[in-house]
Amino acid sequence: MELEFICNGVKRNIQIDPSLRAIDILREELGLTGTKEGCGKGECGACTILVDGKPVNSCMLMAAKLQGTEVLTIEGLEGRDGTLHPIQEAFLDHGAVQCGFCTPGMVMSTKGLLDKAASPSVHEIEEALSGNICRCTGYKKIVEAVQDAGTRLMGKK
Amino acid sequence: MNMQTLEYIVPTSIEDALEKLITSGGRFIAGGTDLCVLMQERIIKPAVLIDIGMLEELQYIRKTHDFTAVGAGMKIAEISGSELLPVCLRQGAGAIGSPQIRNLATIGGNVCNASPCGDTLPALIALGAEFVLLSDRGMRTVKGEEFFTGPKRTVLYENELLTEIQIPNQAFTGGSAFRMLGKRKGQVISQVNAAVWLTLNNGKIEHISAAVGSVAPVPLRLKTLESSLQGMRISEIKRAFIEEEVNKEIKPIDDVRATEFYRRKVTGSLVFDALTEAAGIEERETDGIRVHL
Repeated sequence: MELEFICNGVKRNIQIDPSLRAIDILREELGLTGTKEGCGKGECGACTILVDGKPVNSCMLMAAKLQGTEVLTIEGLEGRDGTLHPIQEAFLDHGAVQCGFCTPGMVMSTKGLLDKAASPSVHEIEEALSGNICRCTGYKKIVEAVQDAGTRLMGKK
Repeated sequence: MNMQTLEYIVPTSIEDALEKLITSGGRFIAGGTDLCVLMQERIIKPAVLIDIGMLEELQYIRKTHDFTAVGAGMKIAEISGSELLPVCLRQGAGAIGSPQIRNLATIGGNVCNASPCGDTLPALIALGAEFVLLSDRGMRTVKGEEFFTGPKRTVLYENELLTEIQIPNQAFTGGSAFRMLGKRKGQVISQVNAAVWLTLNNGKIEHISAAVGSVAPVPLRLKTLESSLQGMRISEIKRAFIEEEVNKEIKPIDDVRATEFYRRKVTGSLVFDALTEAAGIEERETDGIRVHL
């Protein structure tokens, strides 16, 4: 079936196999492999993308449901010239990335949070990231990175 | 998912959806958070999906003369975030899954999935909610507590669609609260959950409705407990009393998430905590996980 949606600011019109999920077309059709499949069951959050500004698990979202939406994946955070988004910079600066597999999902959930709450409390950060699992870091540095990212983004306004 | 053929139908209206249900022999998909997992695990292999999650006609919350009507397509995140809805329902919705799941899942889906541990279910029952079921033959309304017939089984006929959940005006008086217990705080299926709605008159219980999940084949309304609490002074209700009374009514079993023994230990205590919060009494210690709105 035909699918038309905006992906990372670019209008896309593609033919899809309707049995596919959003993660399948992002990774396989569009080559956007930044979004990772950790569990395929919506339990780990590694596949998190933003659809119309809301964090969702792309592994449990039928691709057809992207029709008419605006999607942001991890690739969409970078500037055109390759400069990193302040959230990405904060994650790197705080050592919040170890193996990196959870990171795209963590960053996208963070983007979803900071777009709505400029200066979230630790509790609000933990709540917003409660659908993202990390097996490496123990979360402390991730939370610190999110706090710092919030501050950096406020400074930019 | 690599299913060989899947026809994905996006109906233009509820009427169209009901018609396609019959002509295509398919099944409905709303948010897909339950269905996608089942499809991924090859437990179900539908040939046709009819997407009702995108129907605007199912997305609303509006007050009418007698009740507040909630469209079955409302997202769980919208339910937990809505100030138009009673506290226990908002808390129950807020306990489901993760933020990502709550952004996709629908209240209609949570109801029709009919898991005994569904987190909106005890709240809906405690609030006296009624469900509007529509088919090409017409419409009927079923009380929440009569909707569930067994684990993942409901009174829904194959050609029916849950379109609306009606919460009576009375449910907006007094107070309500929801509690759950799980192996962790986030992204967890409830081992036990409980919802209480009540009104007080001069410190005595005037109306009370309590329901619990995961301790019977269906979410269970605690009618015997309600009778024994009627007219009691709220300050006289003790945790031990509730624990004893609740254990007379529930039928918990051992399952993957918890044992019968554990459920008998905690359910009454959760009901007591929910009751305490519903009555507006400041919490001291609570056993259950409280969803802060």
